[in-house]
Amino acid sequence: MNRREYISHVAVLLGGAFSMPTLLAIERLEYPRAEAPAAVFQLNNIQRTIVAEVAEMIIPQTETAGAKEAGVPSFIELMLNDCYRTPVHLSFIEGVEELRAAGFLTKNGAEKTELLRKVEKDTKELMKAYNMQQSKMGDNEDRELMKVQTKGLPFWRLMKELTLLGYFTSEAGIKGSFEYVPIPGKLEEVKIKPNQKIYAY
Amino acid sequence: MNLNLTVDKTHRYDAIVVGSGMTGGMAAKELTEKGLSVLMIERGREVKHIEDYDTAMKAPWEFAHRGKVPVHSAEELWANNRFGTLANEETGPFFTNDKQNPYIEKRPFDWIRAYHTGGKSMHWGRQSYRWNRRDFEANALEGIGVDWPIRYDDLAPWYTHAEKFVGINGSKDNLEVLPDGFFLPPMPMYSPERHFTEKVKTKLGRPVIIGRTANLTKPQPWHIALGRATCQYRSKCARGCPYGAVYSSLSGAIPAAAKTKRLSMLHDSIVAEVLYDEKSQKAKGVRVINQNTLEVSEYFAKIIFLNAGSMNTAALLLNSKSSRFPNGLGNDSDQVGRNIMDHHLGVGANASIEGFEENIVFGQRPNSLYIPRFRNWGNDRQTAYLRGFGYQGGASRSDWKRGAGQDGFGADFKKEMTQPGMWSIGFGGFGEVLPNPNNRMYLDSEKKDKWGIPMIVFDAAFGENEIAMRKDIANSAAEMLEAAGFKSITTYNRPEVHLGLGIHEMGTARMGKDAKTSVLNKYNQIHACKNVFVTDGAAMASSSCVNPSLTYMALTARAADFAVAELKRKNL
Repeated sequence: MNRREYISHVAVLLGGAFSMPTLLAIERLEYPRAEAPAAVFQLNNIQRTIVAEVAEMIIPQTETAGAKEAGVPSFIELMLNDCYRTPVHLSFIEGVEELRAAGFLTKNGAEKTELLRKVEKDTKELMKAYNMQQSKMGDNEDRELMKVQTKGLPFWRLMKELTLLGYFTSEAGIKGSFEYVPIPGKLEEVKIKPNQKIYAY
Repeated sequence: MNLNLTVDKTHRYDAIVVGSGMTGGMAAKELTEKGLSVLMIERGREVKHIEDYDTAMKAPWEFAHRGKVPVHSAEELWANNRFGTLANEETGPFFTNDKQNPYIEKRPFDWIRAYHTGGKSMHWGRQSYRWNRRDFEANALEGIGVDWPIRYDDLAPWYTHAEKFVGINGSKDNLEVLPDGFFLPPMPMYSPERHFTEKVKTKLGRPVIIGRTANLTKPQPWHIALGRATCQYRSKCARGCPYGAVYSSLSGAIPAAAKTKRLSMLHDSIVAEVLYDEKSQKAKGVRVINQNTLEVSEYFAKIIFLNAGSMNTAALLLNSKSSRFPNGLGNDSDQVGRNIMDHHLGVGANASIEGFEENIVFGQRPNSLYIPRFRNWGNDRQTAYLRGFGYQGGASRSDWKRGAGQDGFGADFKKEMTQPGMWSIGFGGFGEVLPNPNNRMYLDSEKKDKWGIPMIVFDAAFGENEIAMRKDIANSAAEMLEAAGFKSITTYNRPEVHLGLGIHEMGTARMGKDAKTSVLNKYNQIHACKNVFVTDGAAMASSSCVNPSLTYMALTARAADFAVAELKRKNL
């Protein structure tokens, strides 16, 4: 993607799937100056275990590596620390703590899945409120103030985004899932064959 | 390559070129090839072609933040990052630290800079289009700004000259609105794009073409002679192209100039002032400050080309005061710094496409489709605004990123994410901006940068014409996507876009017929100081809606040809 095509393509590429904060962390479409200052983000051991477990449940080990093997848990922590600010840190921790309080780590596999399905369902409501807040912020003159006060992206949504990003840009994720072609050398439209791996660059 | 970087001890040259970017490179190439000794002065650090493209061959997992922008970097590159991930881990080395190079915004201005060898040619969008005949006539016809002192026919041979040297791929489309040029073979359109092109043509009568970009699809002997090779379809152009397939000053103009053995280069050297000689009524040289050591030195030449980038070129003129030019060199008209134009963008529409599921693409196309201007053209007349816009965009299949907004997790979800998603398509507009003398930049009377040079203040904004046009850009894009039968059409019109974000900033030392209302004559000479030429975007009297670099390069080559002829005639 070159920079000139960038603005016209960004929404297409992300298919509207990535939420605004990740877009913002990715794209910095707004004024970085107007945000709350960066803060140190750290997980305790229990929280870290929960994050790793959830990541692995989103992208489990199958015939290819899972999120843990691909280094996703530490990537998530690095990203939260380096690329996100306080409101996102707080909502992320809140989500992890809710899982802890619900006894996530003591549950068996099926129960864990059930709990995460509930979290996913609840997140839809949270996302509605969140998107409304974002659109209000869009036309609000007190944007700077609102940004400090606002809630970050809901935990599940960010967790999923960062797990996908961390996994499908990792060496294990790319090479296991796709045909990695760093130097295509040509450009052509082709018909996909049954069970063919698609290309990554 | 062995660059002759040695600076002459006498500090005397036939020509000085300020800036090593898109037009500085072209000026140095043309002037050295015509026999002049040239000193090219770059304010930023030295970047060596290929050798210094540190991120060019890195795999995705070799970037700690996977191409995203860390908070601290977003703060240091605050203006750059208004555009997008411009200054991320992949391309960050080629953008300028805004925190260390601040500017003042009386009204918001998105100023994206590239202080290093090659300037913005290191990461330009490479879309290269000729202006049409009307673009040069519109100001006069509509009574906007000042009339161009040249017409299409004056520039046409120089377009060809620049196209050949740079290497532009494209198809001959035989459109009056977008004249053909010297093209290398075009890149392909994908099936859904061909479907779109066909529908838009039959239902709306609008042509859609494959973009014309400065990537070598089939290098010609003169490209190969400079070490440039065929595009590898990685589409990682902005990291620096190690194949030289992308045109930049580093891959093209500077090696060509260096071949003549008449090019000298200075890096880390900020030109603070053009020195004017009251006696000869000509510029005699430049005063330079080393950005690291703060050492001041002077260099002298018969002619001076200013190619510092439109805003910095104007700032340099404003800062070059003398008894003859108390308001800045060449600023008798008070037009230096005024009439800032750009192309407004961040407005368009997207849709999803049903079908074509069996088709995928091998390789990455560093190009898009282009929809030439159709408004206020032919029989179309808009009452809400003057001029028009073009679109860039195209179709692609969605990938694993779609998963974030989708339900599910676990083994099946993982498998699904390894498969291609639907095709989607989007187009963003590039709109013409009208010249307005109240859209301006000037030097702050008190605040100075760390080199003691007055800071630039921006006081400019879009006008009613641009705002009205934007609504139509979004709606017309949706209309075309609908004509093609695409689904889930959404429009966008980003409210936070300011002048500058198109990174096509121009107009601050406009060409014109009358010295009272313009800064440059028809050969890009300062009206009242004929041995100074301005051939970057500052020279523009209007903006058209097509990407400007090719026009800047053509103007530069034309001015260089004239300058050398004038030197021979002893007129300079």
